[in-house]
Amino acid sequence: MTRLREDATAGQASQREDATAGQAREREDATAGQAREREDATAGQAREREDATAGQARQREDATAGQARQRADGHDSATASQGPAGSPAVVESAKLSKWYGQVIGLNDVTVSVPAGITGLLGPNGAGKSTFMKLMTGQLKPSKGTITVLGQPIWGNPSIFFRVGFCPDQDAFYDRMTGLEWVAALVRLNGYSEAESIDAARRALDTVDLLDAANRRIGAYSKGMRQRVKLAQAIVHDPELLILDEPLAGMDPLGRRKTIRLVKDWARAGKTIIVSSHILHEIESMTSNILLINNGRILAEGNVHQIRDLIDTHPHTVHIRAADPHGLARRFLAHDDVISLRFEEGAVVVQTAAPDGFYARLTELAASGEGGEIAEVTSPDDNLQAVFQYLVK
Amino acid sequence: MPIHDQSYRRYGGRRDLAGQAWMVIARSGIRTILRKRLFLGLLLMAWIPFVVGAVMVYLNASFPQFTLLAMTAQRFREFLGTQDIFVFFITIWVGAGLVANDKRANALQIYLSKPLTRTEYIIGKLVILSAFLLMVTWVPAILLLLLQLAFSGNFTFLRQNLYLFPAVTVFSCLQVLTSAFTILALSSLSKSSRYVAILYAGAYLFSHAVYGVIYAITGSTKMSWLSLPGNLNQIGDIVFRVQPRYSTPAVVSVLAMAVVIGVSLWVLERRVRGVEVVS
Repeated sequence: MTRLREDATAGQASQREDATAGQAREREDATAGQAREREDATAGQAREREDATAGQARQREDATAGQARQRADGHDSATASQGPAGSPAVVESAKLSKWYGQVIGLNDVTVSVPAGITGLLGPNGAGKSTFMKLMTGQLKPSKGTITVLGQPIWGNPSIFFRVGFCPDQDAFYDRMTGLEWVAALVRLNGYSEAESIDAARRALDTVDLLDAANRRIGAYSKGMRQRVKLAQAIVHDPELLILDEPLAGMDPLGRRKTIRLVKDWARAGKTIIVSSHILHEIESMTSNILLINNGRILAEGNVHQIRDLIDTHPHTVHIRAADPHGLARRFLAHDDVISLRFEEGAVVVQTAAPDGFYARLTELAASGEGGEIAEVTSPDDNLQAVFQYLVK
Repeated sequence: MPIHDQSYRRYGGRRDLAGQAWMVIARSGIRTILRKRLFLGLLLMAWIPFVVGAVMVYLNASFPQFTLLAMTAQRFREFLGTQDIFVFFITIWVGAGLVANDKRANALQIYLSKPLTRTEYIIGKLVILSAFLLMVTWVPAILLLLLQLAFSGNFTFLRQNLYLFPAVTVFSCLQVLTSAFTILALSSLSKSSRYVAILYAGAYLFSHAVYGVIYAITGSTKMSWLSLPGNLNQIGDIVFRVQPRYSTPAVVSVLAMAVVIGVSLWVLERRVRGVEVVS
């Protein structure tokens, strides 16, 4: 599957250069192929997620083995030009740093962002926006390099024919209508007057804003403003979409629609990098994330891979049982148990070796020696827990 | 095997503006300004001196008793001098918000995430203001000159005053460039177009006032290079081959204007960015 995706992308690159009609057809085929692959991958991921509760330990073992194989093959994402999933990197940074006077915005970031949807996750002030601004050539790196679609982004505005950017801040004239604004911007992409109006209408329709296209942006709600920003980012049909906090301020319905749009774009073969400081937003779009804090990338990959990365951190397991104290006595016999605390009808264990712990727990439940075990949950399966683990 | 779509499809490949993105900025800006009726009124007012000049040309050519109204180099210099006030107001009206409004709306960040360089953006903005300024300086002056040639009935005026074509062009361009670069630089310093307008008017009038005070004390016109309009007037007099009004050497006035444009370019380079970095 990896090789297929590489072929498709290589085809895309050559088509772009020539931009002939025949090649455009090829690109459509390649994109369709990519989309199918990604659909497969997404379906696979979804199946994985469904199976996750049943076979967590097994998955973790597989993932760890996979990671080990990757490292052995020299495919570590930090050093190779491939993303964590093995797909060609769309955005690559090496030793990327940005500081504002004495303040460090981004610190020595070496990362590869693969095709598909990637979530950039971190608290406010973590460096997400700095990274995005470096990624969109708005800021010049203080040190290191960053390439987008294989080209350096700084001082290379021609790459924006292939990139769409939706900033976190409102960025438009309130007195203009949504249609005027989007049409005016797409003219910078070489569209004629008539084409720009058509393209703007299509983009506004995509974000469900066609009904309000001729209303002044000043009269738009926060959610509509977010969507008009999205429309200007997608209006020229870019290959790479960089969305900085696109769901901020949206109503639940708007969020759902936008999440669906992002997934649709990914299925259509586009690469999307989306930032947020809200975990469930990212989780609803993708499992492939980059965790960032204090200007550093804390972890990258999918949720399960990241959990493997943090296995050195205490792993929390919540066990609801008939006799929590009896269970606790048995757990204490093992060195990997770091701490225990009791909640009503439950014991919460922190372990340094989750795989071994789960294996013993399964044996214990099967033997019935520790009494009835009603429920085993781990906040580790929630992205929030991963984030907290890594940030704190 | 994939079945290819044989129906009509839009071209989906890359579109290249090949360094012409500034035209998009310029066109859009000019259209926006032309929608303001009050501004159109100012533009029309700026053509009143041309109408007066045209009447003078007609009277001089048609009636021998109006020989006093004959168009000379001095008259053309005076004509462009009367346009100064319109240049001042149009510069403020059009120029103050050119970058400031984009900064206030955060539009720069969006513009510069499109296939548009900062240089193209600045050129686009310069063209907006320059177009309107040339419309009240170079265009009426050249039309007046052509009118004079048409009414003179022979080539004597043309032979004697051929230099007026380049003189009008050079002076108008200098006036437009100095005003446009100065107001653009000031516009990039603020998000408020009103503040920029006050700043420009202040710089323009204050520099002239400083020269006025020095002149009042010393009685010498050698310090006219301190005045923004003073430098332009001095160069204008020399270009039109009329008696210079100040004793400042022309090269000093040229240098002073070059410094103003240079500083403006430096400010623009520092301030026209998608993201404002505060160290």
